[in-house]
Amino acid sequence: MTAVVDSGSSRHRRRFNWRRWLLLLIGGGLVSIVLLCAIFAELIAPFSPYDLDVSNMLQGPSTGHWLGTDEVGRDELSRVIYAARISIEVALVAVGVGLLGGTIIGILAAYFGGWIDLILMRFMELLFSFPAILLAVILMASLGTSMLNAMIAIGIIFIPGFSRLARAATNDVLRQQYIDAARVIGMSDGRILTREILPNVVTPLLVEAAVAFAYAVLLESALSFLGLGAQPPEPSWGNMLSTGRGFMAQAPWLGIAPGMAMFLCVLGFNLVGDGLRDVFDPHLRD
Amino acid sequence: MLRLIAIRLAVFFPTLLAASIVLFVAINVVPGSAAKAALGIDATAQAIARFEHQHGLDRPLHEQYLDWVLRVFRGDLGKSFQNHVPVGPEVLKRLPVTLELATLAFLIANLIAVPLGALAAFYHQRRADTAITMMATVFGAIPNFWLATLLILVFALTLRWLPVGGFAPMVDNPILNLRQMVMPAVSLGIVSSALLLRIMRTSMLEVLSSDYIRTARAKGATRNIVIWRHAIRNALIPYLTVGAVEFGFLFGGVVIIEDIFLLPGIGSLVLVGIINRDYPVLLAAALVITVVVLTANMVVDIIAALLDPRLVRAKGAT
Repeated sequence: MTAVVDSGSSRHRRRFNWRRWLLLLIGGGLVSIVLLCAIFAELIAPFSPYDLDVSNMLQGPSTGHWLGTDEVGRDELSRVIYAARISIEVALVAVGVGLLGGTIIGILAAYFGGWIDLILMRFMELLFSFPAILLAVILMASLGTSMLNAMIAIGIIFIPGFSRLARAATNDVLRQQYIDAARVIGMSDGRILTREILPNVVTPLLVEAAVAFAYAVLLESALSFLGLGAQPPEPSWGNMLSTGRGFMAQAPWLGIAPGMAMFLCVLGFNLVGDGLRDVFDPHLRD
Repeated sequence: MLRLIAIRLAVFFPTLLAASIVLFVAINVVPGSAAKAALGIDATAQAIARFEHQHGLDRPLHEQYLDWVLRVFRGDLGKSFQNHVPVGPEVLKRLPVTLELATLAFLIANLIAVPLGALAAFYHQRRADTAITMMATVFGAIPNFWLATLLILVFALTLRWLPVGGFAPMVDNPILNLRQMVMPAVSLGIVSSALLLRIMRTSMLEVLSSDYIRTARAKGATRNIVIWRHAIRNALIPYLTVGAVEFGFLFGGVVIIEDIFLLPGIGSLVLVGIINRDYPVLLAAALVITVVVLTANMVVDIIAALLDPRLVRAKGAT
């Protein structure tokens, strides 16, 4: 019990903050590695991710191929590096779609209130109640399997979360006096929404975007794993893991490498998201 | 209490109806996609028109929805595009598999989350708290399908302790059934425990710093009585609500895990529906998952009210 009573001591608080910054640093490091791989894949990857070499298929990790080769002799490390690009691209667009859609819906619902708020937010809650992967799979089945559709499907899944956050943040802003002042001087709804409200709700939304990014990477990988996202020979961590499963007995590295990349990427974005949340919203720390 | 149950039931059915609309629209979001998907990209316009007329897909969407939903109310979930067999019996046959998997996984998640979450809160900002919180962060970042792959590699292919996949019903062979369910349930449960652990820790922290715990300690209650009789019971109330949502997500997550472990459940039926482009099958499977998720939320709301009568009063007042 003493531990809880002592929680307010400055000694513990200093240690706690130091640990948080360290985690943010680790997260930032992991995210930076993934981003560098995504942006400079051509420079970093030792081989082309598409070049077949049947004489070298299912080779174990070696100095020539650090993560071994796959079932058609392609360099596994190069494919893991290039797959970072797909994951980041999909996550970027999907989070963008979710952020844009959610922000517009959340701000409008809070600003206009009444039945607009009621209808929009009930619909958002309804979407939120579906398991994400189920909704993603259904949308992919309907839209068709492609990278663009994966981006749209994942983006739609993020809209309810962002809209709830945008609505709550807008409600906070609406209680401020400068909004009353803007109305008194005759500012139009459009100007109040874009000039006064939007800049003041952006921070919590961007912090949430970092966490959503991690989830988008997971969802993209899950869809590709099921054959609904990136299509071979395009390398994606999900489809590489799916293919690797078939060769687990002979070539276990094919099941380990893409999964580890996925895990480190998600861990990095989660740590960054948690760290940013601590910095910008300290009362959520625990 | 009866009033709360009545209110929750009154909300449940309109929510389910609205959810069914969302599912129906999501599956039919691109007009003509069902026919094109079922017949392939080389299908002629006449073949598509014939298919759509045959399955009533040439009617307005709202008419199709009303027809479908009225049939569902009568217990008819439609017929497969592929083999024209009623989908309902297939769904009912597969539901126990998924329920067993989701329940076992949820059990594992809670067995990890409740004690460790409570322990982390109890040793707040100590090494145990740091270690447990880090563990939750790591668990939360592991893709469950990768964890499943690693478990297969270690326990099925290398050590040969567990079967790679398959399903034997519990009533026929309980030992084999549990051996087949261990890896799928652990894959889902460990990842789900991450969020639950954080919620339990936060909830327990709030309870431990509340006035009534201080009062109980001041009155001389022992550490065990404070924790077990007062703290955990109250910390579990907010935890339960998140738990229900997590159960729902876990139930949805079975889509991939059932595919990996060759389990004939609802999740794999969703994939069958997608691979065969069999939309009645997909719709039925998705609807059943939605019903289970919404029911879990409703039941947990009622259980939370039983544990904390203040919730009934609060809801009755609104």
